[in-house]
Amino acid sequence: MANPHNHDGHDHSEDGGHDHSAAPMVDEISDFEILELAVRELAIEKGLFTAEDHRAFSEWNDARTPAAGSRLVAKAWTDPEYKARVFADPLAASKEIGVDWSEPSGFGTTSDYMHLTVLEDTPKLHHVIVCTLCSCYPRPILGHSPYWYRAPNYRRRIVRWPREVLAEFGLIIPPEVELRVEDSNAKSRFMVLPVRPEGTEGWTEEQLAEIVTRDTMIGIALPKPGRTTDGPRPIHKASRPVHSGGRPREAAL
Amino acid sequence: MSSNVGIPDRAEGQYVDLRRIGLLEAIQNEDQTWEKLAPRWCVTNPEPPWKVCLDATCDALSAGGALDSLERRHAEDELETMYSEIPNPERQLVALAHIMLSRGLMTEEELARQMEAVRARLEAV
Repeated sequence: MANPHNHDGHDHSEDGGHDHSAAPMVDEISDFEILELAVRELAIEKGLFTAEDHRAFSEWNDARTPAAGSRLVAKAWTDPEYKARVFADPLAASKEIGVDWSEPSGFGTTSDYMHLTVLEDTPKLHHVIVCTLCSCYPRPILGHSPYWYRAPNYRRRIVRWPREVLAEFGLIIPPEVELRVEDSNAKSRFMVLPVRPEGTEGWTEEQLAEIVTRDTMIGIALPKPGRTTDGPRPIHKASRPVHSGGRPREAAL
Repeated sequence: MSSNVGIPDRAEGQYVDLRRIGLLEAIQNEDQTWEKLAPRWCVTNPEPPWKVCLDATCDALSAGGALDSLERRHAEDELETMYSEIPNPERQLVALAHIMLSRGLMTEEELARQMEAVRARLEAV
């Protein structure tokens, strides 16, 4: 097999003078890629849908983001009646913040059944979601799942060692707080309604929504005043930096 | 191909014809799944690029009334053991083709011909 990518150079005269290597790509045509195109083209040829329909659905799917979930949580924090509706009828509550689970097909997305359960955290109970079988995720309301959510590493280990895996994300759950891992499946979707943090008294829904990031609705982080998705990255100086100008003497021998 | 040991093949599911389809049996090549293909090329995307297209095809089929999404999901469940040798989303794709063939939305000959046409186009230099 040819070397599929090239990390060694930054001055490729053949790529138009760009000073970075192209991301690696699969340069091999699989039967599955061919089957997908063939099925789609036959459906278009037979008038089952148009190429324009297909493009519109692709674009719609790609445009889902966690912003809708953030709005749902912020509204539930500020409006007790809405919060009651979030648990009583999550799909209707979703619709109130602009997410219709029946879109785009009238019966929901390709892979998501119209079934959502919102899990309420309390100071004594913390939830985290996973899909141990594959990668089921409440996409209409949270957008696309992060890569680690789909990785076997997370799916397998969060169920067996939840506190340890959360600690790897930087979230330490005290032993006195009960931890529940909710396993999604083909027919059920979950999201976490985290506890409203202290220091947010008097905030507007918009302000609150900004700190309800994707990870807080999966349950691997807690919302915190000042922590937003697009805020500055927290940078902590190393507490014991290495002031070495080169290799240690022993290693050089 | 796997034969489900001890489980007799059923011909009729509730949502889909469960007879095996030669064309689809032939492309259940595990070595070509994204799980195998991506690491071979040092690609880290968790899903193949065609996954968004597959989803849009399913959505468009449902919206247009040709194949309802809920019925498709039930049929996929019925086909799960037949295509258990390949992971998702490849299994979802092969199952979709199986369901469309089983419902007469296209024929095996048409699909074979279209696949050859697509292959020739993609492999053209």
